[in-house]
Amino acid sequence: MTYRRLVLTLLIFAAGLPCTVQAKQFAIVSDKANATANLTAAELVKIFTARNRTWADGKSIRVVMRDPSSADMQLVLRKVLNMTAEQAHAFVLAHRDAIMLADTDDAVLRFVSTSPGAIGVVDLYSLTQDVNVVKIDGKLPVEQGYFLRGN
Amino acid sequence: MIWKTMVGRMIASVVCSSFLLTGVASVAQQTAPAQTNPLTAVLPLTSKSPEAKRLVEEALSLYLDRVEQEQSIEILRKAVQIDPDFAMGHEVLAQISLDSAEQVAEQEKAFATRNHATSSEQLVIGWYQDAAEHRLIPAITKMNDVLNQYPHDKWVIWMTTWWLQNQAQYERSLAVYERSGITDSPGLINNMGYAYASIRQFDKAFAMMDKYVAALPNDSNPQDSYAEILRLAGRFNQSIEHYRTSLVINPEFYSSQFGIADTYSLMGDQVRARREYEIGFQKFPLPELQQILWKTREATTYVRESDFDGAQHAFQAIADYAHSRQNSQAEADTYRQMAMCEQNPKEAMAYLGKAEAATQDGKNALKIAISQELAQILRARVELALKIGNKELANSNLARLEKMSESSDDMLIEDAYHGAAGAVLFSHHKYDQAISHLEEDANNPLSLKLLAAAYQKIGYSAGAKRTTETLTNLNDPTLEQALVVPAFRKCSDALSCGGNAKSASLKH
Repeated sequence: MTYRRLVLTLLIFAAGLPCTVQAKQFAIVSDKANATANLTAAELVKIFTARNRTWADGKSIRVVMRDPSSADMQLVLRKVLNMTAEQAHAFVLAHRDAIMLADTDDAVLRFVSTSPGAIGVVDLYSLTQDVNVVKIDGKLPVEQGYFLRGN
Repeated sequence: MIWKTMVGRMIASVVCSSFLLTGVASVAQQTAPAQTNPLTAVLPLTSKSPEAKRLVEEALSLYLDRVEQEQSIEILRKAVQIDPDFAMGHEVLAQISLDSAEQVAEQEKAFATRNHATSSEQLVIGWYQDAAEHRLIPAITKMNDVLNQYPHDKWVIWMTTWWLQNQAQYERSLAVYERSGITDSPGLINNMGYAYASIRQFDKAFAMMDKYVAALPNDSNPQDSYAEILRLAGRFNQSIEHYRTSLVINPEFYSSQFGIADTYSLMGDQVRARREYEIGFQKFPLPELQQILWKTREATTYVRESDFDGAQHAFQAIADYAHSRQNSQAEADTYRQMAMCEQNPKEAMAYLGKAEAATQDGKNALKIAISQELAQILRARVELALKIGNKELANSNLARLEKMSESSDDMLIEDAYHGAAGAVLFSHHKYDQAISHLEEDANNPLSLKLLAAAYQKIGYSAGAKRTTETLTNLNDPTLEQALVVPAFRKCSDALSCGGNAKSASLKH
């Protein structure tokens, strides 16, 4: 057995070892100085598809994310970019001035935390205190109906 | 055996040698920033009493490297008695304790005394406090900040991996472990074996178990863990062999006796399973919750042989026992399970009424545990209402559940809501919407069954195939598994259930 965690409730009867795909949750992050606390899903899509390249204060937007064609990023590919993996690959290559790719979530966080105007997308469980979490449609990743949650 | 905890309690441990590097911190040291070299940095333990500090180190070593939980708890209690301001002592006890009241009280004490600790220790305490108060984002950020400061500290790795596993973040937990470079901790090896099993990478899980057995050859727990993971993989005979080995090493290791019984039940030999349960009940004096747990498993054997009268008789005895012990949640949960396997819908509805009444009694249970139980009851009522075609009842109970879910970010309550919402939407043939809910409750066989069917309905054959495989290979000795999986396997094998998921996968 695992550590003898004596359960305090009896719902254990219903619970077994999970063994399926867990829904993913992504967080949109910005640098600490960025005053934008909320974006609509439509605004987010415009930013990530390089149709909006400046923040309200005039600062340039720099998007950073992991390779959107990777397996882990399927939800972002589908809901934000609305492209196939091949299209996304070509799109990123064509917009190198506005969109950067990083190898890991840690690299995304490092870039965002040190680059004024940067915005990135990371797995919820990668979050650190070095960045702001931007709400989408008024919701944080943990809230029901959050835009970037699912399989 | 794995014990599921609903309140997300974590167990923390540490290695004695790590702390030998740190002296007793002075007040000035307490506020110093964390060591800068993450390769060697160790989380400090701050106490004004060298003896209390030594005891905590000893307890953590026993816990993580010897898997001696009860002994560790006793030592921790002594430590915080010696130094009541020992914040991390309280925190560790909060995470390790087997007593819910003690867990809550010790977490409060850890938080209240945090100013006596270093900033790093305060970060750990804040992480757990946020988690306990369901503030997930701050909890995650604090966890990662602790991890970034101490990526190779055995205790930090333990805390982080275990917390992530409780959040069902198995792959992330494994990545943290692998990056740590720590390979000699039996406690971590055990947990990583379960993490691999949770994502069905059984070869790696078995490799971990081989290491665990080699590390503690004279302990029962490695054999017991190995047995459970073999059972999850469907290797029942080997599982029983390991459970028997565990009992040879320590004849008092009762979870292995009940593990044998559970395994026979999953193998389909209910008579033998009941015989093994009885041996356990006669041989071992059990704590109340464990008595109820295995009595429930025993009752489930009747469900597996479709003897629903036998099941109700056995469950009723458990409900009566729980009532006599004033254990409201156990009583409620038992009535809920009776409702789930009752063939007469009217009777089933009455059982759910009794279950809800027991939650209103709320005796000897944490508030969150009662809320979680109520969520399960509402979900069961939604499903029953759908079964009898009472949409109004289904909708009203779903609305209650939605309200509960919105006011809490408790994972179990949310899962119950998503399972119920998915079932309602499925019944309305709104498969896309149903899928988005059912995927959120993908550890429940009832939801998995609907999910496989919903994938098939929308033509997503790969998803239907994957979900069907998951469900048919589910080897948990729970009532939900008993109610869903054996029938699903038969149906899937025979291709006789119109529109089943396997037929979808075959077309693909």
